Amino acid sequence: MSIELRLALVFGLLGLATVAGLVWRARTGKAKAVVGGQVIDLAEIGAIKNGQPVTKFGQKVTFLQFSSEYCTACRQTARLYGELEQVHPEILHIEVDITNRVDLANKFNILQTPTTLVLDSHGRVTSRIGGAVQQQTIEHEIGTFEI
Amino acid sequence: MSDSTEQTPAGIDPRGPRFGAAITSVLLLITVFLALDPATLGAAFAVLLVVTASFVIGAFFGNSKHPYGFLFKKLVRPRLAAPKELEDPRPPKFAQLVGLLVAGTGVVLYLAGVTGALVFAAGAAFIAAFLNAAFAFCLGCQIYVGLQRIGLIKKF
Repeated sequence: MSIELRLALVFGLLGLATVAGLVWRARTGKAKAVVGGQVIDLAEIGAIKNGQPVTKFGQKVTFLQFSSEYCTACRQTARLYGELEQVHPEILHIEVDITNRVDLANKFNILQTPTTLVLDSHGRVTSRIGGAVQQQTIEHEIGTFEI
Repeated sequence: MSDSTEQTPAGIDPRGPRFGAAITSVLLLITVFLALDPATLGAAFAVLLVVTASFVIGAFFGNSKHPYGFLFKKLVRPRLAAPKELEDPRPPKFAQLVGLLVAGTGVVLYLAGVTGALVFAAGAAFIAAFLNAAFAFCLGCQIYVGLQRIGLIKKF
């Protein structure tokens, strides 16, 4: 194979990987509206916060974050929600580790972690965010709810 | 529920594994270039062997024992500001294990006489390493749950 063709293939691979990365970055962490979403059963998902089972949804909105063990972005995302919880007392962040809960991964069709389900005050899923979340996305989601 | 959060190991600088991934992606791109010509296929195999060995260290001993981790600590980290937050060392270890499986498959198939497989293994591993280095793509975040759902990973 000629050196020109080899170089073209190598740079083609580099270009392909770059495009894949840009597409991934543009799509990750975006909220998608869910129409007719189900109501979350807090007992079923085993929601625990500060060592206590969670029995009530957030006053305005609940961010239910599914995480797994080998997930760097989950830690960053959890920290971000935690910070916003300090500023917005009307929101609740719940993190559920699905490393040992394949049933939940199947039920909610989770393919990547973190995946966040945005719930209204009755616990109904209104949107879904795949991947690491940006602060402005969360604040926009909070803004779409009325108390 | 998993009690793994209670045993979370000490955090590492998240830029360490990404620095290592940058070196790995350069080596894998060289591997692809060399593997495209039969005259240099042997050299491609040698480079892929080095990359595979580095994945073995990364997957079983972690970034702190890794030569790239050592380079990062000695040469790169002193020139950078302190990291905003430390990262769990387990996700990069998982990514190294996936890299080992992909690159290792290329090595085994090459030794078995399927020499054409080498360029595909190197190319696939390159894409993952490059996405990690350039875009902070986290393989464990993307595929762990999926692998578990199709039953390829079982936790006991």
